[in-house]
Amino acid sequence: MSMESTRSANSAKRSFNNNSNSASSNSNSNPSNKKKKTSQKTLGVAWGSNSRSSSRSSFSNSPFSNFGSYMVEKNRKLQNQFEAEASTSSHGGSGSVKPIFDGVSIFVDGFTVPSSQELRGYMLKHGGRFENYFSRRRVTHIICSNLPDSKIKNLRSFSRGLPVVKPTWILESVTANKLLSWVPYQLDQLANNQPKLSAFFTLKRSSVSNGASTHAPCQVNPEAEDSSLKVGTSGDTYFSEVSEPFEHSKQISGESDDLVDENSNASLVEEPANSSGKPCEVAMAVPSNIDTEDESSVKNYLQSNHYQPSALVSSNCINNQNMKGSPSSTVSEPSNQSHSTLGDPNFVENYFKNSRLHFIGTWRNRYRKRFRTLSDGFNCTSSNIKASALKTAIMHVDMDCFFVSVVIRNHLELRDKPVAVCHSDNRKGTAEISSANYPARDYGIKAGMFVRDAKALCPHLVIFPYNFEAYEEVADQFYSVLHKHGNKVQAVSCDEAFLDVTDSEGDPQLLASKIRREIFETTGCTASAGIAGNMLMARLATRTAKPDGQCYIPPERVDDYLSQLPIKALPGVGYVLEEKLKKQNVWTCGQLCMISKDSLQKDFGLKTGEMLWNYSRGVDNRLVGLIQESKSVGAEVNWGVRFKDVKDAQNFLSNLCKEVSLRLQGCGVEGRTFTLKIKKRRKDAEEPTKYMGHGDCENLSHSTTVPVATDDVEVLQRITKQLFGSFHLDVKEIRGVGLQVSRLESTENSKQGLERNSLKSWLTSASARTEELCKNNYVAKESSNQGCEGEGDETLGQLCGNSVGLSIQMDSNTSNGAACLNEVSVPPPICHLDMGVLKSLPPELFSELNEIYGGKLVDFVAKNKGKTENMNHTLRAYSHEKIEGAMKEGQAALLPSMVFQNEIPVENKAKQHIAKEVPAVSGAESFVPASGLTKTDLIPSSLSQVDTAVLQQLPEELKVDILEHLPAHRMQVFSPNVLLYPTEIPLEALGTKTAENNSGSKDFVLDNNLWFGTPPHWVEKFKVSNCLILNILAEMYYKSGSTGNLSPILQCISSVSIHQLDAFQDGWDEAMYILCELLKQYIKLKIELDIEEIYVCFRLLRRFAMKSEFFIQMYNIVYPYLQALVGENYGGNLHMSLKD
Amino acid sequence: MDRKDNQSPQGETARILVEFLEVAITSIVFLKGVYPSGAFERRRYMNLVVQRACHPQLRDYIHSAVFGLLPFIQKGMVERAAVIFFNTDGIPVERFVFKLAVNQSYGSKVEDANLEFSLRSFLIKLSVSESLTKVLPRDYRWEITAYFRSLPEASANKDVEQWIPTDTRQWEQPPLLTPIKSMSSEPLCVQLYIEHPSLSEPKP
Repeated sequence: MSMESTRSANSAKRSFNNNSNSASSNSNSNPSNKKKKTSQKTLGVAWGSNSRSSSRSSFSNSPFSNFGSYMVEKNRKLQNQFEAEASTSSHGGSGSVKPIFDGVSIFVDGFTVPSSQELRGYMLKHGGRFENYFSRRRVTHIICSNLPDSKIKNLRSFSRGLPVVKPTWILESVTANKLLSWVPYQLDQLANNQPKLSAFFTLKRSSVSNGASTHAPCQVNPEAEDSSLKVGTSGDTYFSEVSEPFEHSKQISGESDDLVDENSNASLVEEPANSSGKPCEVAMAVPSNIDTEDESSVKNYLQSNHYQPSALVSSNCINNQNMKGSPSSTVSEPSNQSHSTLGDPNFVENYFKNSRLHFIGTWRNRYRKRFRTLSDGFNCTSSNIKASALKTAIMHVDMDCFFVSVVIRNHLELRDKPVAVCHSDNRKGTAEISSANYPARDYGIKAGMFVRDAKALCPHLVIFPYNFEAYEEVADQFYSVLHKHGNKVQAVSCDEAFLDVTDSEGDPQLLASKIRREIFETTGCTASAGIAGNMLMARLATRTAKPDGQCYIPPERVDDYLSQLPIKALPGVGYVLEEKLKKQNVWTCGQLCMISKDSLQKDFGLKTGEMLWNYSRGVDNRLVGLIQESKSVGAEVNWGVRFKDVKDAQNFLSNLCKEVSLRLQGCGVEGRTFTLKIKKRRKDAEEPTKYMGHGDCENLSHSTTVPVATDDVEVLQRITKQLFGSFHLDVKEIRGVGLQVSRLESTENSKQGLERNSLKSWLTSASARTEELCKNNYVAKESSNQGCEGEGDETLGQLCGNSVGLSIQMDSNTSNGAACLNEVSVPPPICHLDMGVLKSLPPELFSELNEIYGGKLVDFVAKNKGKTENMNHTLRAYSHEKIEGAMKEGQAALLPSMVFQNEIPVENKAKQHIAKEVPAVSGAESFVPASGLTKTDLIPSSLSQVDTAVLQQLPEELKVDILEHLPAHRMQVFSPNVLLYPTEIPLEALGTKTAENNSGSKDFVLDNNLWFGTPPHWVEKFKVSNCLILNILAEMYYKSGSTGNLSPILQCISSVSIHQLDAFQDGWDEAMYILCELLKQYIKLKIELDIEEIYVCFRLLRRFAMKSEFFIQMYNIVYPYLQALVGENYGGNLHMSLKD
Repeated sequence: MDRKDNQSPQGETARILVEFLEVAITSIVFLKGVYPSGAFERRRYMNLVVQRACHPQLRDYIHSAVFGLLPFIQKGMVERAAVIFFNTDGIPVERFVFKLAVNQSYGSKVEDANLEFSLRSFLIKLSVSESLTKVLPRDYRWEITAYFRSLPEASANKDVEQWIPTDTRQWEQPPLLTPIKSMSSEPLCVQLYIEHPSLSEPKP
């Protein structure tokens, strides 16, 4: 192991004279040497000066080839000496002396009391080792009493990650006759016991004690056990002192698995840990009261617990390594610390597992899932209570110092003692207190305070770590109680909620005390409640009520209450606003009332001004239960972010993306705008006071918007990396990274694709609404239907026809809003009902209809599902004539009610329309089995079924929407000069396979210029296609700014994950064909005048081709064509270099 | 600079184009490092920093060659103008080709600003295109060659006589093209691309 030369190596006398050879050659005591007694008896070797100059002079005429080999030899001899002495001392001394320092190898640095020679003696006697020269490999502990400043600053290069311990450790270990934990004996100058970030992220560290690692296994492991027990039994064992050493050092590593399990059940284990702390003695409880729903959280917990013990373990080892000055101090450590911090693949994940803010932030999501039904039911009713706003009674319930009281709820003895929650209890640390109980607050301890300050205020402050599982459990219990007593509950946070108790009988105050009592009984924690006429006052009342009390502010007392209330108490008034107001000499709400609304709005903006005006008068119009939808989802890490190189940063980013993606999925949303926020250390900023904090930073942010909302990890990662690249930062300067996703769309909506706001959804809802209005239409059709009703299959076939008719009927209604149809009281026969319509009916309407049909509707729907399968086959068997006949009648009957007729006065056109409806149905038969689409779709299943004449007359938007919902395989047909194409196709042809139609339509494509017009024709075509890639292309056309050039579109596509584009099966060939055609036409169009554009496009395409099978194929098809045309025009070939 | 041609849009366009070609060709020569960079001085053209040859002969050569094209460009006879770099055997190594197309029937007034905007993009792109070009062999030469749609008849104009028919050696295989920039804004369409010998071109 080569050591970089450190200042200490050169300056300090006896510190690190290592050179590159020393490590490679420190062949540990080969057996033959062991026997060989050396003649040298010099005990003073440790004092032997080996500063470089003297050594150099000594070996200048020695047989050693260089300094390195001299040192090797010297080390070897010293070792032999030591071993020889050790064997004599242990033999000569009392045989009963326990080798307490087994595995410990110390190196004494500088002046110590007792002297290094005495220490050496102890080590000799008690089975330890003593190194004269520092070696990272052999030394396990560095013993010293004092360190020079330079070494403290550069601790890591000095200690190489080894513990730096005071000599008293050895003395006291000898006195105690066992190896004590070195942790309490750490050098005062370094005792910064706060766990490092890396500590949270280290993986299983059992390896520490394995193998040849000289990393003080026996010291570390008791700690591991110790701390894990502390976690595991959630406070029961808290008093089993951390510093108390345990003897069972090595077994723990083997049992770390058990430990994990144990910890996962921690909250269930009520058995007090015995002081010896043997893990196997703690009973394995069955996780009984964890419902399946929470399984994942249990898993998480299991993991996080797993990390916690190791956290403490490694914290012990790492503490010494804190390099205060170095920005890269959290970056992965050599050897044993290889898992640390950012090198750790689970970095982000673990960060959030240990984050309280994260817990609170994601809690709502959990809550919603759990209490969804309750809050939904409530939301329905909330609208009804608006009227009675005058006499409302709102209750605000807030748990008292939730984070503390949950943790100590099982420690009655701690109830009146100052307790705080913080992730570290190092008394000198800069961890922030997250919550403190009331006794602690009496000492002036506040949330956000550093532990060291808190400890200074209150030395006997007890600090607990977080117990997220307990928080969840208690929060759930808390809400169960609330939901029991009121159905109008608005969750504010995991420990705070509003209840609308207007409708509850009885005195709200009594109810409040009842609720509070129940909360106390179920959770063991106290809660305070405030009751008032609105949410603001209720919240303020709670403020008065705390702790563990309740307060009612009747309307007449509101003004009194507010007049003396400091402005800061108002929700929404933060530090900045407060300062501003204080400048205006406003300190209380009473004073705030004096200011006119106008001037408030002028000074603070419209909204804030109004809020202040309202709040200062106790006016709050919010309704309980209005939960704001979150506008963005994101994750931010501002603690412990230190990158060594770009790779670290990239790794971190991709983990952050994973986290964000999970959150997006958790919330069921996808986003389009991605904002990457970076905290960059200011140039002159010093290392922050807060350990591993971000310090003084510049906040930078870049954002980008993609065309298609996504929650896909890969896309996120790619976008994020792009964004990150755009910062052009030195990664070492980064102190915080956050990724935020906004412009959220609900996943369900986006799954339905474009249906939102489209004609189809409108139609479906319209059809629901107008269903009854249309009944006369059904009646009219009935006559025609009767002919075929004899056979069940036939009716189903008819159903198809009806649906087509119905959709057109809807069109007519839409285009002529005035078309008023007579209400007919007779419902249509059940078999005429359109499945598509039924399915999309709102539940209320459906049940109403179901009632009308005497409950048969449900059966029908179920039956229909099964039948549709058969239908396809039976329909095929149909003779076309039969249907034709039936349908002609049907359509004829239908027509009078159609508005089309008004729009198309020419009679033969109307006839044509009839004629075309017929093939439409038969066409549908053949398509349905082929494509496997919903059989009873409302929309005609292909464009050929739509009267183009009608279509053309429709307003543009409607047309687009209709086209959008036609399947792709027929869309090629739609082009201006082939509008009449379908009518010319004989019935038989339509009944045949789609492929044939395609072959027919290909010619049309060829003839047409897809690039003609603005927007080019292909855009429309692709938009209505059911093939994802074509849809994307069409969409990109608009996103790219509708320039009519292909390259911006392709560039936009490259922002979408390319392999996503491969993720479609149907229509591959068609998409391929049409795309190749598109490209060819584009080449033709541009070849003469803009070869650059073509070049750019094809380079992009080639890039896609590297990732996508689809694009490879396409590229290969079009490429020869391209080169041929280039050759024709330019007498050469386009040079597609292979390097990019 | 024949100001008299200014009345027709073609004349105006051609003048701008020729000016541009002069600058662009100088840029190419500068880009290829034919002469030490001290042989050029920084000038501003179309609000861009460009290079101009200091040496009067070099400046003259480019200037006269390009302005000699002016009448042909006005007539729409010039199809391509190329800057060709040869090795000692006279075999081209790299060619920078300007493909020109002037719409003769374009009647309306040309927006100078538009045209300049488009042409400027060439110069910008050109200045960053060095990576696309090849390293030239030692002792290479270069020349400006124009490709006409048809050979011009003998003309009285003195300028025209400067252009003489040439039979620059060609590659045997179709070359590889690397487009650098294209613009087409009425009435002018200019494309600049580099030609390199194809990989299968027999090596001399």
